[in-house]
Amino acid sequence: MPQVTVQLPSILGRIIDESQAIPIEADSLGGALRALVDRHPALGVHLFDETGNLRQHVLCFHNQTNTRWLDSIEAPLAKGDTITILQAVSGG
Amino acid sequence: MGVLVIVGTDKGAFLLRSDTARAHWKIQGPLFKGWKVTTVARDDSGRYFVATASDVYGQALHVSEDLDNWRQIENGPAWAKDTERKLNQIWTLNLQTSRFYAGVDEAGLFGSEDRGESWSPIEGLNEHPTRDSWYPGAGGLCAHAVLTDAKNPKRIWCGISAVGVFRSDDGGLTWEIKNQGIPMVIEDKQHQDIGRCVHGLVADPDDANTIYRREHNGMFRTRDGGETWQRIENGLDSSFGFPIVIDRTSKTLYIIPLESDEYRIPIDGRFRVYRSGNGGDTWDPLSNGLPQENAYMGVLRDALAVDHLDPCGVYVGTTAGTVHVSNDAGDSWTQVSCILPRILSVSVYVQE
Repeated sequence: MPQVTVQLPSILGRIIDESQAIPIEADSLGGALRALVDRHPALGVHLFDETGNLRQHVLCFHNQTNTRWLDSIEAPLAKGDTITILQAVSGG
Repeated sequence: MGVLVIVGTDKGAFLLRSDTARAHWKIQGPLFKGWKVTTVARDDSGRYFVATASDVYGQALHVSEDLDNWRQIENGPAWAKDTERKLNQIWTLNLQTSRFYAGVDEAGLFGSEDRGESWSPIEGLNEHPTRDSWYPGAGGLCAHAVLTDAKNPKRIWCGISAVGVFRSDDGGLTWEIKNQGIPMVIEDKQHQDIGRCVHGLVADPDDANTIYRREHNGMFRTRDGGETWQRIENGLDSSFGFPIVIDRTSKTLYIIPLESDEYRIPIDGRFRVYRSGNGGDTWDPLSNGLPQENAYMGVLRDALAVDHLDPCGVYVGTTAGTVHVSNDAGDSWTQVSCILPRILSVSVYVQE
């Protein structure tokens, strides 16, 4: 599986007491997010709402692409890709 | 021996420490920088619980034995997917019996039998037959007050805005509405006994049947566990307000009235705490050392605390971020040298 990097905002990095840049091995975007929460269960409630979707004001980018515009969160990953979690401007 | 005050704000928690003279304070923080710290509690073993929330990243519950090393609880209070409810924040923690309780928004009550490591919904209240007629107050649809009876752990009271007070006599299996004598604020055609907007609850430390109730429309007391409520407003210049605390040593009550539900500010810009030494029969204003000109800050429901020392220390956190302390039961006050973010919660712990 390709190794990618998940980049977290500092406010979430502090929760898991780890660097904001987390190496993850996964085949797909969804797989990477699941692997991230498997490794750091505390992140689950902060990234996903009760329906299992990304929280309304959480943005997720696959390289330069906002994942909200993707047809499927199961988009394939390539070695060296970056997944960035951000606070949406709509969050205030 | 020392005193620790944990001030929860819109942007983190701050620790204020002093010796028991409570005259000089050292400030540390913020912990949980950037998070709302909605409520804080400590259990009998000395474990601290901090509830955090964010409009972006949701809510969580954290624990620590030493205030330095924190761990997020992985199986905290959570609504099941099929309820279509959102768990926006933990409003209150009651850690006084072997089963811990957490009151939350969107309104509901959760219990933990393992010192807070895992939490389960209290279905008897959360799925109450009146549930479809529960409507939120200005602060949301929230379960923000939980009382327990040390002599009978099967008795529990829960206050929900803007619904009212419920009591269980069977450990949470079934719940009865306890709003007789309380004015309605939101009328429901089917359920005339809810639609009350409770703001705060405290009980007499020696008699769980005597409960003091801050209500949207007044200040009330029951002596029969909530079966009937009577007004106790003698001496108050406004019956509106949110927090209420009781010193378990002297049984003195403290409240902070605000000008009406329309305005929610100190009357005429005079910031005053009110005290009752006779179980709410009469109230007296306290102002010595509190701002008496141009003071228009509010005090939220969890932002008033007492330390139960003798004389009792009283601690107020305001929406303007100021902290006011009395080390003589409210006779005189000083302002701690800090201006914090909007204060959501204040709790105090005497440390050996």
